[in-house]
Amino acid sequence: MSVHSNSLLSPALWAVLLPLAAACLSLLYGRLPRRGRFLLLGTAPVASALFAAILVRGVLAGSSHEIRLVRLMPDVYLSLRVDAAGALFGLSVAVLWSFIFVFSVGYLRDDRYAGRYHTFSMLCLAGLMGVAYAGDLITFLAFYELFSIMSYALIVHEGTSSAIAAARKYIVYIAAGGSLLVMGGALAFSASGAADFAAGGVLGPGTPPTTATGAALLLIAGFGVKAALFPLHGWVADAHPAAPAPFSAALSGVMVAAGTFGIVRVVYEVVGARWLAVLAIDRGLAAVAAFTAISAAVVAIKQDDLKRRLAYSTVSQMAYITLGASLLAPGPLTGALVHITNHASMKGCLFLCAGLLARNAGITRVSQMGGIARRFPVTMAAFTLSALALIGIPPLAGFVSKWVLGYGMLDAGAGGYLVVLLGGAALAAVYLLPVVRIAYLGEPSEEREGSLAPARPGNEAAPSMLAPIVALTAITALLGIAAFADGSALSLARLAAESLAGSR
Amino acid sequence: MPVEVWDIRPALAPMVSFVCALLVFIGGSRAGWRRFWSMSAALLKFIIVASMLPGTVGGVAYTFRFAEFAPGIGIGFRADALGMAFATVSSLLWVVATVYSIGYMKGERSLGRFFGFFALCVSATVALALAENLLTLFIFYEVLTISAYPLVVHDETPEALRAGRTYFTYTLTGGGVILLGIAMTYVVSDGVLAFGHNGIVPPDTTPAVLAILFVMLTLGFGVKAAIMPLHGWLPRAMVAPTPVSALLHAVAVVKAGAFGVVRTVHDVFGVELLRQTWLPDALAYLAAFTIIAASVMALLQDNLKRRLAYSTVSQLSYVLLGIALLNPWAAVAAVVHIANQAVQKVTMFFAAGAIQRTTGKTNISEMSGIGRRMPATMGAFGVAALGFTGMPLLAGFISKWHMSVGGFDSGMWWVALVMAASALLNAAYWFPMLYLAFFKPVSEEPTLGEARPSLLYPTLVCAVLVILLGLVSDLPGMPLSIARTAVAQAFGM
Repeated sequence: MSVHSNSLLSPALWAVLLPLAAACLSLLYGRLPRRGRFLLLGTAPVASALFAAILVRGVLAGSSHEIRLVRLMPDVYLSLRVDAAGALFGLSVAVLWSFIFVFSVGYLRDDRYAGRYHTFSMLCLAGLMGVAYAGDLITFLAFYELFSIMSYALIVHEGTSSAIAAARKYIVYIAAGGSLLVMGGALAFSASGAADFAAGGVLGPGTPPTTATGAALLLIAGFGVKAALFPLHGWVADAHPAAPAPFSAALSGVMVAAGTFGIVRVVYEVVGARWLAVLAIDRGLAAVAAFTAISAAVVAIKQDDLKRRLAYSTVSQMAYITLGASLLAPGPLTGALVHITNHASMKGCLFLCAGLLARNAGITRVSQMGGIARRFPVTMAAFTLSALALIGIPPLAGFVSKWVLGYGMLDAGAGGYLVVLLGGAALAAVYLLPVVRIAYLGEPSEEREGSLAPARPGNEAAPSMLAPIVALTAITALLGIAAFADGSALSLARLAAESLAGSR
Repeated sequence: MPVEVWDIRPALAPMVSFVCALLVFIGGSRAGWRRFWSMSAALLKFIIVASMLPGTVGGVAYTFRFAEFAPGIGIGFRADALGMAFATVSSLLWVVATVYSIGYMKGERSLGRFFGFFALCVSATVALALAENLLTLFIFYEVLTISAYPLVVHDETPEALRAGRTYFTYTLTGGGVILLGIAMTYVVSDGVLAFGHNGIVPPDTTPAVLAILFVMLTLGFGVKAAIMPLHGWLPRAMVAPTPVSALLHAVAVVKAGAFGVVRTVHDVFGVELLRQTWLPDALAYLAAFTIIAASVMALLQDNLKRRLAYSTVSQLSYVLLGIALLNPWAAVAAVVHIANQAVQKVTMFFAAGAIQRTTGKTNISEMSGIGRRMPATMGAFGVAALGFTGMPLLAGFISKWHMSVGGFDSGMWWVALVMAASALLNAAYWFPMLYLAFFKPVSEEPTLGEARPSLLYPTLVCAVLVILLGLVSDLPGMPLSIARTAVAQAFGM
């Protein structure tokens, strides 16, 4: 690890700063020319993605770096650091955000608060990029709180009574979670005198067990709110249907995952795997995650609202990641980390499809979807492929994560959790395949057919909405097919897991 | 211990605004002169105070003593780190508040009186911040009490006069108790009242005397620091014009009380002596109670300025709690919170005043869509609100983090819980307002109409300060670094 000589040259810094600049720029949204403003704002996520790609290349080539921007307090810096896990997460965020931005241009075309949407969306992107590259717990918390709190504005965006209620619920959960995090962070800092992320954790062997327990539980519970761990998942199912579709995609794709990413950092670089094993918190966490994975999938089956069903699916999928992280071995951790990326692509696409159907056909419920594939062939093809990937059909992205996760579980001597993995996959089939069946084989309702323009090629949706869906589907396929190639997401995840969990 | 260097500046700084007050009283009927004197005095004073900062950082305490009337009794000034922390904030915010007041008070009557007493208040505040001994501190503390009265009753409405009476009843009683305490200290310490020795009460004082002395001084100063149940005057005094509420009731007057408690703990008793007694624990519990109870009261207020007042009551007790824990981390939180709370609260008061002057609205429930009408003003308000909820990289987080770490360090877990509860309560009473202002659907879209520049720019400057105090507060000369110097001296580190 090298300290960068000139921090202004760090791509990590610019990947965070550009979205912030775009957020400031979109304050002037109404005064910018109509076409120019999309190019101008769109530059931020795309450039962030490019910087993230440069960082990934660097990490794969074995270089990593750290910059200290400013000393906030004695022994506490605002610092950025690029490691394999962060590079992978950062790239996933920026790429997904680029597609989401394009989609939002079409989705918000007639929205009079589009400027406000883009301001807060760019702030969230800056926060997430900061989370990916945060070099210590304080920097992590700073960016984490930034996107968590700014998300409120995007959930409440549509201003309906359900959006207002969902946003209120969200902010209560998130504020409470944030308080737990600061308490846990202060406790860990008080015990160790360091806020930096360090391999093996910062808590020394002489730490009193009660302190270690307190810090671990507070930090894991704090991130667990965002990661939607049972019983802290209450906000997820309300926030997703209420938010505008591009933001639902971001929320499910990378924001909930940021919570699991936080748990990974806490487990391996703050509290340390050794302490977790000594205190048996790893076993408790695994049990909670396993329960969440199965029970959320069961609940998803009963949901008629499409976005709500997908939201419960997210709760279930995120629990896999927590489960993989809690087993304290490189194998399952690899599966967990690569699943963050794969899930972002699959679930992002599914939510964009749901958003497209809602905006162009007014369809929000599964029961309204009868025969909709004839009217929206490309959308439903993308939906089907992403759904199959999520269930775990080879050779798509979801299969890769589950294969690696499952293999890692056997390797780590935790084969019992394979039941959870297979059960979850079976349940995913039960809640996703009926959607596909209804869309292709169901009977269309009379009134809907009357209100919709007849299907013609090119009449399905605006290109700005269709293109991201197609692109994400292609990425989902690629993440599966090319998983074992050099420089794939999987190879990066393996590298990350080795450095996080291998050094125990 | 800092090196004492003889220098006129600690006496000169309060003198500048005292002269300004005189000039305004004499020639203040003309608006042009009034503005000129107020602005130039504010700037000059800030420059004088700031010019002492490098010395403070370098471990120098500039000292200036006038002749003593009797052994140990005299007027003296000494710019140690703790005093400089308070003086810097007051004099900086005075510059901003002067610009704001000129804009806000335009067209009001009795402006000569207003700006004269305004300057006098700040003169007294800096004087008591830089006081070298307990008596000097007390004299200027009382000057501040008296010269704030004409500002509280400025509107001369029956409500304002009633509030002024309440204010006097509380603060003069508190002042009397402090004076008794000082007399007792003088007897106990055998004629020593000067600060700078980490305690002037001798260690062999009997516990009963210690207890009586501690209660008298902390509760006497606690009146202005609005510790519950002595807070009654503060919400009522909010009838004053908004710049007065901002500068005096969020910075000078209330902070003078909190500052008095800090001096009492660090310089009258000393950390070492108090550690052997139960007294600081009692103060800590009372402060913790105030933090929570006042926040709950704030939740119940609809009038924006009253909500701000109860929030001030709650935030002031951060200072008292931090100082009572007798832990270096918590003590840093206490001292740095003097600056952090001041900047955040002034931002909010300025925004509230800008809204009142621009739209005539004073109740939160009327403020739907105000953020779409005045986005910059409410944006500044939002930054301060997030600061109070302890969002990292904003001022409030620095205080909250230090306090929580201090609590854990001294084995008191409940401190972090109080901090968390307070942050959540702050979110509970500020976030709904941001929702109303920015996100609540309104039937008629408000047209853009910001406050006039003299109200808007001071508000924005303060919001930028909130961010700077969260981001670069550790740079030499910034509040966190001064606070750490002050605490290192008090704890003999």
